[in-house]
Amino acid sequence: MTKKKKSEAVVVTEPIAFEDTVSVGDLRASLEEIKMYDGVIGYILRNSSSASIDLRDPSKIIDYAILSSSAFDSGAEFSELFDLGDVSTVIVEGKAVKMLSLVIGEHKVGIFMEKNANSDRILEKLHAS
Amino acid sequence: MDDEVYAFALKNTLNEIQNICPDVKNSFMFNEDGEIIAANENTPEKTLVQVVNAFDGMMEKADALGGVEGIIFEGSKGRVSISSVSSFYLVTVTTKDADRNLVDTVTRVLVPTVLRLLEKITSAPLKNIQPKPKIEREIQKPEIEEPFGEPLEKHRMQEPEELSEPEVKPEAVAPEPPVNQFIVENIGGLLVPADTVRIDNDILAQWEELYEGKKIEEVEIETFGRKSVTCRVKQIKDSKYEGKGIVQMPEKIQTTLEIRKGELVKVKPVVQ
Repeated sequence: MTKKKKSEAVVVTEPIAFEDTVSVGDLRASLEEIKMYDGVIGYILRNSSSASIDLRDPSKIIDYAILSSSAFDSGAEFSELFDLGDVSTVIVEGKAVKMLSLVIGEHKVGIFMEKNANSDRILEKLHAS
Repeated sequence: MDDEVYAFALKNTLNEIQNICPDVKNSFMFNEDGEIIAANENTPEKTLVQVVNAFDGMMEKADALGGVEGIIFEGSKGRVSISSVSSFYLVTVTTKDADRNLVDTVTRVLVPTVLRLLEKITSAPLKNIQPKPKIEREIQKPEIEEPFGEPLEKHRMQEPEELSEPEVKPEAVAPEPPVNQFIVENIGGLLVPADTVRIDNDILAQWEELYEGKKIEEVEIETFGRKSVTCRVKQIKDSKYEGKGIVQMPEKIQTTLEIRKGELVKVKPVVQ
């Protein structure tokens, strides 16, 4: 069996061992599956010690990473203003691309997709994982 | 249109949304420049500014998505939705248990409808929906009394000039009463007569000028539901309502017309 090369995938990992390796593995497996869904452009998975980025267009990595991070920061800000509790999901709908950001345990996930992609299906998949 | 009237109408809309959906805790609108256009009564101004600043930060970073059409923050106790409506952003804050379909349906229908309505009113100036009627000879064609049985040919034989230039003195033709649209505002108090509405002195002056100085003491008010009432009219006393296209109306008249504060009515002078 030949190994499928993923030239677009960029994985940035600090040399710190995960305590919840299994959980990260499951999550990554789910994200790999989600990446095959119609209209999904890629994802960013990060926690306090590492980050995995897999995007169709590598030139967008920095922009998307900043946006994903700022979505969580804004979520915390909005939560404080309106007493929303823990903000676990942020959806940013752009004119061309949609971003779904989630907090799953200690992991923060940003999934990027085309505007008309089915984000509900992705949410279901992630909640099931 | 006066921005304040625009804001007034939108504020009422946002308050109505909260009446329809009590799970909506806060709602407000701001434009692309970050200016607050309207907010419901529950939302403090300080919060509005903080939200706009936070949103502004997101907007810059969201260029990567081709600009923002909407953002949803889903929390364990509530939800914030920011959606693009025309050239504005509408923010709604709901409780966790809110019926999202109802909230979405109401906001996505009501707000764009009000915006469209306001745009229509803007295209037809609020203060004078109808221009001053021209006192021209064409307004009334002279009634040519003819005895029965006279041949039709006689009319055909008449000179065209005779038909187009009848000798009717302009002064004799009363102008059509102008119709203005106003937003209803409450008026109350012990000394407020229940049969009198109040409108801008400028409008009253325009009407009086139109009718050659006749004092306008009564107006006919008609709702868009075609209910109408004739009542007395006086000028607005409270300067904060002046020049805003508002008609101050006692509760009794509002009840008769089956309308409420914030609704639009058509008002025309009654010339005795």
